[in-house]
Amino acid sequence: MPYMRSKSRTFDATGHICRVIFAPLLMLGFLCLVSPQSHPARAAEHLSTSVIPTVGIQEVTEGTLLFRTTQPGRFIPAPTLKTDVTIDVTGIIARTSVRQEFTNPSREKDDWAEGIYVFPLPETAAVDHLRMTVGERIIEGQIKERTEAKKVYEQAKQDGKRTSLIEQERPNIFTTSVANIGPGERITVEIEYQETIRYDSGQFQLRFPMVVGPRYIPGTPVIVEEERPKGAGTSLDTDRVSDASRITPPVQKPGPRPVNPVSLSLTLTAGFPLAKLESLSHAILVIEDPDGRSHVTLRKDTVPADRDFQLTWQPAPGMEPIATVLTEQQDGETYALLMLMPPDRQNEAIPKIPRDVTFIIDTSGSMAGQSIEQAKASLTLALSRLTTRDRFNILQFNNRVRSLFSDLQPVTAASIKKAVRYADHLSADGGTEILPALRQALKGSADPHRLQQVILLTDGQIGNEEELFELLHHRLGTRRVFTVGIGSAPNSHLMRKTAELGRGTFTYIGNTAEVKDKLDGLFRKLERPVLSDLRFDQTGWTGIEQYPSRIADLYEGAPVIVAAKARSLPEHTVLHGRIGASPWSLPVSMKQATARSGLSVHWARQKISALMDEAVAGGSEDSIRKAVLDVALAHHLVSKYTSLVAVDMTPARPTDKPLTDHVLATNLAHGQDYHAIFGLPRTATSGPIHLLLGISLLVTFWMVWLVKSRFA
Amino acid sequence: MTQVFTQKRMLTSVLMCLLATGLWQTGEGLWIHAKAQLAQFLLERAWDRAVAGEPAPKPWPWSDTQPIARLRVIRPSIDLIVLANASGRTLAFGPAYLSSSTPPGGRGTTILTGHRDTHFAFLLRLQPTDEILMETPDRRQHRYIVREVSIVDGRTTIIRSDGMPQLALVTCYPFDAIMPGGPLRFVVIADLKA
Repeated sequence: MPYMRSKSRTFDATGHICRVIFAPLLMLGFLCLVSPQSHPARAAEHLSTSVIPTVGIQEVTEGTLLFRTTQPGRFIPAPTLKTDVTIDVTGIIARTSVRQEFTNPSREKDDWAEGIYVFPLPETAAVDHLRMTVGERIIEGQIKERTEAKKVYEQAKQDGKRTSLIEQERPNIFTTSVANIGPGERITVEIEYQETIRYDSGQFQLRFPMVVGPRYIPGTPVIVEEERPKGAGTSLDTDRVSDASRITPPVQKPGPRPVNPVSLSLTLTAGFPLAKLESLSHAILVIEDPDGRSHVTLRKDTVPADRDFQLTWQPAPGMEPIATVLTEQQDGETYALLMLMPPDRQNEAIPKIPRDVTFIIDTSGSMAGQSIEQAKASLTLALSRLTTRDRFNILQFNNRVRSLFSDLQPVTAASIKKAVRYADHLSADGGTEILPALRQALKGSADPHRLQQVILLTDGQIGNEEELFELLHHRLGTRRVFTVGIGSAPNSHLMRKTAELGRGTFTYIGNTAEVKDKLDGLFRKLERPVLSDLRFDQTGWTGIEQYPSRIADLYEGAPVIVAAKARSLPEHTVLHGRIGASPWSLPVSMKQATARSGLSVHWARQKISALMDEAVAGGSEDSIRKAVLDVALAHHLVSKYTSLVAVDMTPARPTDKPLTDHVLATNLAHGQDYHAIFGLPRTATSGPIHLLLGISLLVTFWMVWLVKSRFA
Repeated sequence: MTQVFTQKRMLTSVLMCLLATGLWQTGEGLWIHAKAQLAQFLLERAWDRAVAGEPAPKPWPWSDTQPIARLRVIRPSIDLIVLANASGRTLAFGPAYLSSSTPPGGRGTTILTGHRDTHFAFLLRLQPTDEILMETPDRRQHRYIVREVSIVDGRTTIIRSDGMPQLALVTCYPFDAIMPGGPLRFVVIADLKA
């Protein structure tokens, strides 16, 4: 690596090329940047300045890739890419296949391009297929250990072969690189991923991102930087990573939204009778199959990629929890997915259980501005929903912990009044020390006759994740922790994990207007858990391995999902739990379980996720890495340690050119190094205006005083 | 008689209001500058701890940032501690490093932003060929030579890098504008001297 880097410097000095500098909103949630591999001739002109006016961009009517030209300020737009999306939904699992055409629009003979897409996926997504189509040939991606895959890719790139690589940068951010695309050539890259569908407040919701939200864009430079060998100063690394997403400026969007043609088709096998199936975002066409499947297509053949595609469906109403089992046979193993759906209406006969609610509010500096206002609004709303049988307390933390009461207090007019006043005066400042706050909330023994709920309102900009998870692991007891993510870019990975370990749920609030809707739903379900202490009878399951190992409680509006693998399954199983204080059970027949594909991938993704949590909880990195590799390689999954790589064996780029030039010119790490200035923090204080105003007021005072004393 | 008395009372209260608001606003304005100076003093002590090897020394117990570099210019004579995580909050205390940009001395563009009326007021006096020194906690010195100074419209401009190590100092422009928040930015680009 050092060798390459020093070489690349010589190259840069002699010249660099047209480079895509601006790709604000790209294809379907894909941020794409291209750095062509060589064009020394044009180089010198572009080195003259580092500050480029992006004027030509105003003339672009759709979001496209732009390549620089010899004429400063003029750009060649890359031809609009076409995208085909196919989604297959089984129960709560959606398999999505995205086909994208990648084109190098240059007519210059030696403009061999390399592109990188950075694409955000849901945190639950598992990428398991990569297919590259060049002309007639289809090249299937191979799963390999990450470093090995990278090596294969780099080697193929050097040899002038067309190649493609998918890597996981974060649990929810993946990158695809494609190298050696000749001038004027097209390559189709198809990726497949699987995700778990959100179920909330009685309906399933599938979202396919068609527009890159600005909050994803800031992630890009960081990802690329991570590829660099560390050493420039280790203390910088953590800083850089932890806060980058908040600070990196979103690139300014061109006036009109991009118009990239997207076609989409979807097959839905819900596993239960549907009461409703609709899309709020697009006009759709639904065709029902006799076997209960629904085929969904867009009413228009292609639509512009100007908003995310959303599809919602609802099961027919019922009063009892419904259990659904799906199974898949693969390599002598049975993979099962147990889904327990809450009834859509509460059985009013069940009395409410009194609750002990502890609110923890993050009042650290990062919450300043809109976030703290949202938190206050949320808290006030939550307080208004408590009943006189409940007890509550409010803790706030920044660099120290403060609490409203020393311990849980019964709800009375006086205590609520005091709490509302307290909430009103919260202000954000200082550091983020969440641990002592959570420790205080989890201290002492919990009253088993009451529901113990801890509600954490934060933007999740927390440093010591590990300790936090460890604390939850050891001290949770019968309590449940619910996280409410606030602000424009909360750390949703952390908060989802916290909720999972706390056996609660995670709610994300994007803007103040959503506070009421989202939290009403949350508080309604907190008031009445449908079933708690869930477990299923494991007799007859041989060699069972289930995730999550501790089943969460069933609340109104959120299903409980368990992924299991076993060598053989019994014909029946029984789900046990408690409704309030009384025991509950439900026999489930495994015989009628519908056979579906994709369950093994789902199970593998859950296992990897659980393994990665172990790493956080202090497991040995080496053994975890090995365990993850076993699962990921067996199930063809992209993970922190594995990547998919595809190589076309026929060399495309003539290798008779000085190879070093080609190789070094593609040093990607720097291809993305651009920054919009506008998004940087404000660099002027209000000092001058204060001073001007203050001094003029004082002068006025002085003059009036003089006049007054003369006439007095 | 009473009317004159009431008028007098009104005048007095108006005067008191003027005095109070005037003092408050002046104080606010001065406080911004005082904070900028005072913070640098505390930051210098935190910097010494950083150089001594403490991983992320907090300049004051409740701070959510830490010093990551020392910025020095010989002419005009400037010595500033640079903070991590550029945000409106940290900029009150010192110039700050944009965490998503390249670390000082690295290949690519290192971006620092600062307030035009406090720490980065000196940018106006920088000229091409001037020398800027960046010291990192590992005691390494990075020397940058100013290449260009420009005024740009922040809404339509981006900073590009060719992978060459360079430093960009960004502040608001014009320097003496009364109201904050204009679109113009003053950018100084300097190349790393090998």
